[in-house]
Amino acid sequence: MSKKRKIVSLAVFGVIIAALIAGIVITAPHAGIKEPINEVMKDAVLHETGRIDIFGKIQVNPALVSAWIVTGILIVFAVITRIFFIPKFTQIPGRFQYLLERGVGLFTGLAKQNSPQKTQFIGGYIFTAGVYIFIGTIFELFGFQAVTVSGFSISLPAPLADINGAIAMGFFSYGVILFGGLVNNGIKGMLHALKDFTLPVSMSFRLFGALLSGALVTELVYYYALTSYVVPVIVGVLFTLLHALIQAYVLTMLVSIFYGESSEKKEKPVRPEKIKKEKRRKTV
Amino acid sequence: MPLNIDIQQILLHMLNFVILFAVMYFVLYKPVKAFIDKRDACFREMEEKAKKDLDEAAAAKDEYEEKLRGAAEEIRTMKAEAQKDSREDADKIRSDAKKEAKEILNVAKLKAEHDTEVMIKNANSEICELAQQAAGKFVIENTSDAYDSFIESANDADED
Repeated sequence: MSKKRKIVSLAVFGVIIAALIAGIVITAPHAGIKEPINEVMKDAVLHETGRIDIFGKIQVNPALVSAWIVTGILIVFAVITRIFFIPKFTQIPGRFQYLLERGVGLFTGLAKQNSPQKTQFIGGYIFTAGVYIFIGTIFELFGFQAVTVSGFSISLPAPLADINGAIAMGFFSYGVILFGGLVNNGIKGMLHALKDFTLPVSMSFRLFGALLSGALVTELVYYYALTSYVVPVIVGVLFTLLHALIQAYVLTMLVSIFYGESSEKKEKPVRPEKIKKEKRRKTV
Repeated sequence: MPLNIDIQQILLHMLNFVILFAVMYFVLYKPVKAFIDKRDACFREMEEKAKKDLDEAAAAKDEYEEKLRGAAEEIRTMKAEAQKDSREDADKIRSDAKKEAKEILNVAKLKAEHDTEVMIKNANSEICELAQQAAGKFVIENTSDAYDSFIESANDADED
């Protein structure tokens, strides 16, 4: 066995022993469960108690603060990229340019695939929505802290883990679909999209449910001391990344499909009388 | 409201997202997409140009092959013509030579005939001369003997 391998083996054993000792200490009886699980879950879902005060004028849910922070980060990133990187784009892309082009190309492709009539606007919309959902969901991994009105410190959740954020996103997306129908097909297109009036509700609750389920599982894992040690690192990160990707993809795909349907040019149906007349003419 | 739904917060989320959408669309998405589209158009143009060049090259190749085929045909025709010409020339030369030989032969024949005639003529004249000379000699010999015999006879007569 080489010297390097010996050191690695010893380090692994050391870590395992240290982890076991820590686990024994943490899982000792009466190891600090203060709030019942049902209260914790209710807080995670409803955010009734953990509100944050903004300049003493308005009290908001922590998810809205997360939304502002995520928006701020994305806007700064966009502006810096626009000023410093986009003018230096080359025909053969570097790593950052390639990543950016892949992101834009992915959503443009999705828009072209589902809504081939008009791709520019819907491509931009689903690009923004996808990036917002993905970055917003990953945001909760960083565990930024905020102080609630009642003086407790809370970890900022994903912007769309709040039902208000999910409803806003769902209804706004529905508005975009209606707008697409109106612009491309006039009132008829809008009425066609209006028929699917359950769409905003389903989109909102799907988004909220998916993101909330992630938050709940993470909360549940963190709640118990036994599972909060080692497991959350894997479960939290993987689960968050996975549902961030899935939800970004699902919402953007749904929006592009419904936008494509509402903006699709519809041919006027030929009346049966006209068909009969045509037939008569041909026979004559 | 149930589930802690708050209209004001929904509107705040919407406002937040509208601002984000506007910035992301105009500042990031549009320029990057414009760049991609421009590059795609450039590549498409290059591809079309390459395709056009390839087509042109293929057409030129066909044209040259056609020309080569034509040249081979032309060479074959020219060769056949040259062979035909050379054959005709050779025939002509041969016939001319034959003709010339015939003429030479005729001339030679005529000359030979003429020479024969001349020779015969000369021979005849020589024979005549010789005959004359022989006759002369004979006559002279015969007359001298007669004269001598006359003289002798005359002399004999005198003596008597």
